[in-house]
Amino acid sequence: MSDSATPVTEPKPGTSRRTFLKVLGAAGATTAAIGCSSETGEKLIPYLVHPDETVPGVSNYYASTCRECAVGCGVLLEVRDGRTFKVEGNPDHPLNRGALCSRGQASVQGLYNPDRYRQPMLRKNGALSPISWAQAITLLTQQLTSVQSSGKAGSALFINQHETGSFPGLLDTWLSGYGIPAHLSYAALAEGGVIAANKQSYGVAWPSLDFTAAKLVVSFGADFLETWGANVPQQLSFADARAKGADAPRVIYVGPRRSLTGMNADQWIACKPGSELAIANALADSGSVAQAAQASDVPVAKLQALAAEIAAGVPSLFLAGGSYEVALAVNGLNQKFGNVGRSVLTAKPIESFEGMSSDAELTDAIEKMRAGQVPLLLVRGANPVFTSPKSAKVAEAMAKVAFKVSFSSYPDETAELCDLVLPDSHAIESWGDAQSLPGVISLQQPGMDPVYDTRATADVLLAVAKAIPAQAGAHPTTNYREYLISRYPGGTTAFTSALIKGIGNGALSGERAKKGTAATTRSAANIEGTSGDMYLVVYPSPLLEDGSGANKPWLQEIPDPVTKVCWQTVVEMGTSAAARLAIDAGDVLKVETPSGSITAPAYIYPGLRGDTIAIAFGRGHTGYGRYAANVGVNPGDLLPVAFDAKSGSMAWTSTKVKVTKTGDFIPLVSTEGSARQHGRGIAQAIEAHELGIVPTPAEAEKEGTGEEHLPGDASHAFLPGLRAPVAQDAQGNLPSDDNKKGMYDPNHWSGMAKRRWAMTVDLARCTGCSACVTACYAENNIATVGAIHQSTATANLNGQAGANILRGREMAWIRLERYFEGGETLDDSFETRFVPMMCQQCGNAPCEPVCPVYATYHSPDGLNVQVYNRCVGTRYCSNNCPYKVRYFNWFGYGEPSRPQYAWPEKMNWQLNPDVTVRGKGVMEKCTFCVQRIRESEHRAKLEGRAVQPDEFTTSCAQACPSNAIIFGDAADPAWSVAKAIEDRRAYHVFEELNTFTAVVYLKKVNHSVAAGA
Amino acid sequence: MDRFRGAMTIRKKWAVLPGFVLLTVIAAIASAYTGAQQQQQPTVAPDTAPGALPSARATNKAPDTVIVNRGEWGYWGGSTPQGRSPEQPIAFPHPRHVQTLGMNCLYCHFAANKAMDPGLPAVNTCMGCHTVVTAQRPATDGLPARTSEGIEKLTTYWKNKQPIPWVRVHKVPDYVQFPHMRHVNAGVTCQTCHGQVQQMNRVYQYAPLNMGWCINCHIGNVNPAWKARYDCSTCHY
Repeated sequence: MSDSATPVTEPKPGTSRRTFLKVLGAAGATTAAIGCSSETGEKLIPYLVHPDETVPGVSNYYASTCRECAVGCGVLLEVRDGRTFKVEGNPDHPLNRGALCSRGQASVQGLYNPDRYRQPMLRKNGALSPISWAQAITLLTQQLTSVQSSGKAGSALFINQHETGSFPGLLDTWLSGYGIPAHLSYAALAEGGVIAANKQSYGVAWPSLDFTAAKLVVSFGADFLETWGANVPQQLSFADARAKGADAPRVIYVGPRRSLTGMNADQWIACKPGSELAIANALADSGSVAQAAQASDVPVAKLQALAAEIAAGVPSLFLAGGSYEVALAVNGLNQKFGNVGRSVLTAKPIESFEGMSSDAELTDAIEKMRAGQVPLLLVRGANPVFTSPKSAKVAEAMAKVAFKVSFSSYPDETAELCDLVLPDSHAIESWGDAQSLPGVISLQQPGMDPVYDTRATADVLLAVAKAIPAQAGAHPTTNYREYLISRYPGGTTAFTSALIKGIGNGALSGERAKKGTAATTRSAANIEGTSGDMYLVVYPSPLLEDGSGANKPWLQEIPDPVTKVCWQTVVEMGTSAAARLAIDAGDVLKVETPSGSITAPAYIYPGLRGDTIAIAFGRGHTGYGRYAANVGVNPGDLLPVAFDAKSGSMAWTSTKVKVTKTGDFIPLVSTEGSARQHGRGIAQAIEAHELGIVPTPAEAEKEGTGEEHLPGDASHAFLPGLRAPVAQDAQGNLPSDDNKKGMYDPNHWSGMAKRRWAMTVDLARCTGCSACVTACYAENNIATVGAIHQSTATANLNGQAGANILRGREMAWIRLERYFEGGETLDDSFETRFVPMMCQQCGNAPCEPVCPVYATYHSPDGLNVQVYNRCVGTRYCSNNCPYKVRYFNWFGYGEPSRPQYAWPEKMNWQLNPDVTVRGKGVMEKCTFCVQRIRESEHRAKLEGRAVQPDEFTTSCAQACPSNAIIFGDAADPAWSVAKAIEDRRAYHVFEELNTFTAVVYLKKVNHSVAAGA
Repeated sequence: MDRFRGAMTIRKKWAVLPGFVLLTVIAAIASAYTGAQQQQQPTVAPDTAPGALPSARATNKAPDTVIVNRGEWGYWGGSTPQGRSPEQPIAFPHPRHVQTLGMNCLYCHFAANKAMDPGLPAVNTCMGCHTVVTAQRPATDGLPARTSEGIEKLTTYWKNKQPIPWVRVHKVPDYVQFPHMRHVNAGVTCQTCHGQVQQMNRVYQYAPLNMGWCINCHIGNVNPAWKARYDCSTCHY
């Protein structure tokens, strides 16, 4: 050992007491000197050749494109020392304007996923075993040439994930070289019916939507804040519209289940599944309201009121989800009321959905496989074994294919059945491009070298082409980057300069022909023809989408925005149905159809009709890595293979089910305590018409305490968060004695107290999407605690995913609280309010005086600081916190040697180097991203200036696709937050406790009264 | 009765002291035992996967490179101990480079004035000179011929495309954020914290690197001009 430490031996048996004490003394001294040091032989590994433009410990940002869904938002990859550790929205990208959804942010957990394929694999004796890339490419080349020479190439098949950009074109050129037909561009659970109807009505697959141009929005099951279309741009526009206060659109949601989008609506019309068409027709005057009311089981008066509201002729916007016919009827409504070109921007289409294959085409291909006609199957980025209904029997059909190749990065259900796996590099490791908007090319560049021995599929295709002399001519470029440059308008120079912002102008030449969705005639799904006692609604989970998010622990752990359940699949059941069938939350239900059955606990949800149950799609994987496998159940097991007749899109609400109580009980893995506010005033709202009421001076005088009793007024009588802990009064005035003020004096030499960090959260904008929660996990090294391997030692749900959450051990520093208002009488009139709840940074914090070791204290710049290394884990602070925003490390989530370690190898590469990883027995909480505050101070000092207004923001505010969160210095009027706290809707949560919080909420604005009424 | 109860309380209070002594002894024994265990654990070499571009910062924070020898007590550890002088893979002579050749610290530790990390020279920075100043030097300018073992090792690393596995001398715990650039730009010399490195043929830890030592300077005891914030959240977050 090179250190000065003398090795200490244990006292041997029989050692005299005197000797033992000597050794003990020596050991004690050594422990004092060395034992406390964490590492004794840590290495510092330098670069071999220092890369340009990098400074150790300083982040570089690379503009790229998100490939987590077909939309293709612009992202910035934060890279430090060769590792990408955070993905944020690109503020310069016209599509998402700096915002990013949870799925996009969680892409780093796909990149560092511990269960990724690490090299090419070949099936030998029934199991996949590693081979080299040279072998793999030779094998693929052999297969291709033999299929070609056998003359069966026309039946070979390539299934690719649906994406825009250059790759689909390259792929088709490559395939045609072997006589293989054009690939299937597949996206599971996509809105195929809507796309086909849009093509028919507008001539584009997906128009941009401008919610700000509408005064009335009616959604027929279109979940535009979740998985319907381009959710981030839609949410940005929706939030901008809702922020308009009294001029904001009133939103009505028509559908059997009140989704997250439905919760953001002012009115819910709970129609029977499959009856949306009747209502849309009635509104378009092509059917009678009475008939629609009968078909949909909605009171006639309600539909008449809806019809009258629409007929009033205010600028409106109609949206539909699901079937082609409903979408076509609803598009007709838009045309009839003049919304096309006003709120439906067909001239600015979102091109991400062009050229998508229909589910029917995939099913045809599967039937060909089953018939033994397919000699070679290649799959990339799609997982049809999981995403197709079990009754489609995809795995059986695949077994009839002679040779199956997967380009999957992860061991998903489809890849596990393949003979050869050529793992694709992650989007963060590879080049690419996308065309999401006309005239805008979005570039994708790698943020780092591949984590494992993987290769971008495009590069593999080019390498294979090079190995066959006959093909080489068609592919002159040696790698995909060169290929992209060769196609880029303006060549190398333009490409390189466009990379800086990640976007360039122009259209990609020779893009894959924009084909319309094939007009197929299918036997339509006939929901009434199926037997059962309840309707089944299957919807893609807002976080896990088609199940591809299930291997990312953030997305598993962040509670579903509607149910607040995580790591679990639940059967959602309406309040009235639960009362009728005597079912309680957690009662295990058996759900049966002729196709199959599942068992899952019941979740009682007021936003569901009494004759309907709903199950989220996305969990229930049998493979796909440690975070996905054996977590939840797959509702696809219940579904028949049924289609939307005109578009060939899979019908996800297509069957009735039989529901029975098994008598078992499984506790719900929920993060919520109560769904009701119990008069606590946590989430406050006002009506739109109350916004304009201004108290006269006489009224204000009469109340004595100012404006606070009038609706819509600022109810805080003091400046938020400006109170220092040593203030002598509620106004935050400091004592006159300098010694008592200390560092809290704004004139103190350190100057810290000149700033007051504060935050506003606009509840009129917040939609409850939970992107802020993901952003917080990503920024602050927050451990996920619900995975199966972390759950072993926990009683109650022993060994199952989410066991720690069940015991209240989740660590989310910011959580989305969801409260229901009204609807206690089992009707559909309830209202939902969302409150992002993080540490309120109280100026008079209850947590601070109870800490026996001063581990939490108030910093002069207004933060409630948690000093992790001081904390001894008494948890007094958490007990005393009225907001319950302090989180305790019950296990060593941050310690690699513990079974509960949250970042198994390579996942730890995502850790933010600026934030301490907390150990066992330590309390942690939100500190307004103090690392970002200090970084900005460092940067400003380095550049010899002061921190500029709005120069930086917290991670949650940065990510928010609703722009609901504003952070900054409330003491400096130049910051946006200083203006925002003056809003008349401002209030503090639990103001009556005199906590003087630095977080100000702006009341939600409801539009209960019909526009123009 | 009241008087009697008071006496009981006083007696109980006195009983606390031996109790604490007992607890302290138990704690000392336990810590000595785990300390001894820790000393015997082999150190694990850091991960130098080819995919990663390793660096000083990465080895500082990413737990895949952290050597796990943390006991139940004080798993987070403290700073490295004063006087520590581990053997390096190459016996780099700072005096030769700094005193004889007059090189500036920032030539190699290039980021010390602009980043949290001081920056460790890449191997090609060394080779910038040592491609010319090679291991074998003929007798020139009145100096005898010599063979440098260190430069030989360096060239071997370079030829094998291997980074030099320097052993870290100074380390503050993970929960401390030490911005080098703020100190260097405030006029705090390298020697203030690192000692006379230009005279060290083998670098050792000059300062104790404990919090009292940090605060002593931050409150202006070392140099009134260097007085700086000492609020906890300045360094701990």
